[in-house]
Amino acid sequence: MSSDRKGLEVDLMHFVQSRGTRYAQATLQTDLLETGMLDSLLLMDLIFHIEEAYAVRFDSDQVNPSNFRTIEDTVSFVLKQKALPQA
Amino acid sequence: MKWPLVERPVPNTQIPLYNRFYLHASPASQFDPVIVWGTEIDADALQTFLHERNRGGRILLTAAHALIRATALALEQCPELNVRLVRRRIYAFRNINIRMAFVHRRYSEIDLMLIEQANLKSLERIALEIWQRMLQAARNEGGRDRDLARLRRLPAFWFRRVVRLYGFLDRHLRLPTLGRLDGTRAGCMMVNDLSFPGAPPMRVYKPTRFPDKSDSFNLTLGPVESKVVTRSGQFVSVNVMPIFLRADHRLVDAQQVGRFLALIRDFLSNPERLAGGHYEQSDIDQVVAEKEKK
Repeated sequence: MSSDRKGLEVDLMHFVQSRGTRYAQATLQTDLLETGMLDSLLLMDLIFHIEEAYAVRFDSDQVNPSNFRTIEDTVSFVLKQKALPQA
Repeated sequence: MKWPLVERPVPNTQIPLYNRFYLHASPASQFDPVIVWGTEIDADALQTFLHERNRGGRILLTAAHALIRATALALEQCPELNVRLVRRRIYAFRNINIRMAFVHRRYSEIDLMLIEQANLKSLERIALEIWQRMLQAARNEGGRDRDLARLRRLPAFWFRRVVRLYGFLDRHLRLPTLGRLDGTRAGCMMVNDLSFPGAPPMRVYKPTRFPDKSDSFNLTLGPVESKVVTRSGQFVSVNVMPIFLRADHRLVDAQQVGRFLALIRDFLSNPERLAGGHYEQSDIDQVVAEKEKK
């Protein structure tokens, strides 16, 4: 799967928007926390979609509001993690 | 091996007579000791609090984490609820441990986790433990997940026998907890957060009882709803969340249930009272520091 910023944005946007009508309006900048869209089920699904598609592993301390507030934030976090040397 | 219950049961003299009618009733009387009380909390206050904490916090907080902390603090003030039945005797738990139901992503089914001594832990610490367990479960990496996988493979015949034997021992003996599967028996209160986006409004909810006797109480939080109320003679729209408590009349009476629910309601409607706990933000710093060292 394409892991450049654009490709990641499109993929994660599609992932969130496909959750149902409530999520169809989500944009890259939608605050998923303030709008109440991000619950633990979506969060887990999102994390494991990223782990499986982009080989980035999340630790519990990385379940951080700043990494998941918007899709844009999540994309930035994934790109940052991918740039780090893997353990 | 841990002993979740204290050694001696609550003396008969300390059990209200009315509860003893239920406690010693014959099954032939077909009595029903289940009490369910539903109320609602001010969701605006809770959501504002969570949004503020999530703006500057280092771990994502949800209503479930607040519910666990509120329940533990309320149990601290109502120790008479931190109990369970063994045969017809009431035993107190040594610690305030809270069980939580969550969706096990790998198997798309419900699993339980136990937050030990939740009254001593900060919201952040509780959240960290929950995310840790949820990630572990989704990856199928934990010891409990391996044990659950073994249990799933048991043929129905043996599964029924194991469950019945264990249920019999649990009902009749003050058992220790031995492993990862029965560890969740070490708490009297199960909390269940059903406030997920898209959940239908919850008017009535009667939580079931898990077939072990530790599950004395169940507290379930429903989804946010808008409601029009009058304040100072004006109609205003407020957001509320329903909350239902299932209790056992052999252990408590309706007055105690009401007092406990009022405390939960007070904590969740004034969530700044959930701050504190012996473990604070530094716990997360420690986790990050350990990882960096590795």
